[in-house]
Amino acid sequence: MSDSFRRAAGRKVISRASARVLGAVHDLLVDAEQERIAAVIIGRGRKAQLVDWAQLSGFGPDAVMVSDEGALRPPSDDRERAAADGKLGLVGKRTLTERGNEVGTLEDITFDPETGVVEMLRIGDREIPAGSLLGSGPYAVVIDAGQEPPP
Amino acid sequence: MSALGWLILVLAVLAIVAVTFVVVRRRRRGGGVIATEGKP
Amino acid sequence: MKLLVTASQIRGLPVVTIRGGEDVAEVRDVIYSPEAGRLVGMTLNKRGFFSGRRREVLPADAVHAIGRHAVMIVDDSSLTARDDAPDDVGRPATGRNVIGNDVLTEGGRSLGVVRDLALLVGSTGEVVGYQIEKPTGGQGYIPLPAQVAVSGAALVVPDVTEEFVRDDLVGLGAAVDDFRARLGLA
Repeated sequence: MSDSFRRAAGRKVISRASARVLGAVHDLLVDAEQERIAAVIIGRGRKAQLVDWAQLSGFGPDAVMVSDEGALRPPSDDRERAAADGKLGLVGKRTLTERGNEVGTLEDITFDPETGVVEMLRIGDREIPAGSLLGSGPYAVVIDAGQEPPP
Repeated sequence: MSALGWLILVLAVLAIVAVTFVVVRRRRRGGGVIATEGKP
Repeated sequence: MKLLVTASQIRGLPVVTIRGGEDVAEVRDVIYSPEAGRLVGMTLNKRGFFSGRRREVLPADAVHAIGRHAVMIVDDSSLTARDDAPDDVGRPATGRNVIGNDVLTEGGRSLGVVRDLALLVGSTGEVVGYQIEKPTGGQGYIPLPAQVAVSGAALVVPDVTEEFVRDDLVGLGAAVDDFRARLGLA
């Protein structure tokens, strides 16, 4: 069963070792090259923490389980800090093709909760494969040109 | 000054501020379409 | 059928990096070579309501694509220091604005006055025509290669151009190939 970024937003993050609630999912950091979720961002702003996907014991429909609290870490570079501040959120971003034309707003992203591999991007009412994603950032999501509807 | 007088003064100031914004912005943003010098 | 956009529609568009998804600048001047029939580059402004110029410029060969909503570059290394860019881009000539030039046929008829350039969407700046203000006051479009000669005041075009004046960008897009065939070009 696929999970999605919209559904995962706000989901509780719980330590498997202590059963304590560590926070809630604020955003998911994507590695565009590998087309997978690199880390989960818990909370936002100065108090935000990241957990690398490999440190999760499970990404479930009701809670995200972290192996233990030690896996939480502060943002380590500018990109992670921007993500923690909410600037790199993909959902809701305008989507441009590499040819410079807007194709809509990125409404949601589906992924495999077992592996973190990103599956589909939903733009407006269309679904396109995650392989089309070329990059993303504070201004826009960029996809390859094959996805432009004919003029 | 009457209330009407104040109102006119405020509107005039706002108008001047708005025009200044537009003029300053246009000067800073500038830009045009420029042709290069012809070279054979 | 060609999808076209005017140079003034390009001015003010964000310059966006593909991998970084970041609007690193926006287009200020559009600099074009009438001889080559294409853009040679753009000067840039910083993003922000009151921001002024950016130091760097964007030569046409560093552009990935010009679209209707953004100019796409691979990453911000595409932006070039003024001194490293070709002179035409780093130090654009002032007083060489083709906007306002009179368009004269070789036979001496005025087709109007240049108001804008028509560019091919998705290219790196190919100019396919001009937007003109006709002597009667209406708007028209003429295809390139249009000029035989260009100066700071006038453009001289082949007589046959008069048959290819169109009313809108869509009409121009449809006419370009026919016009080029008439002139014996590919």
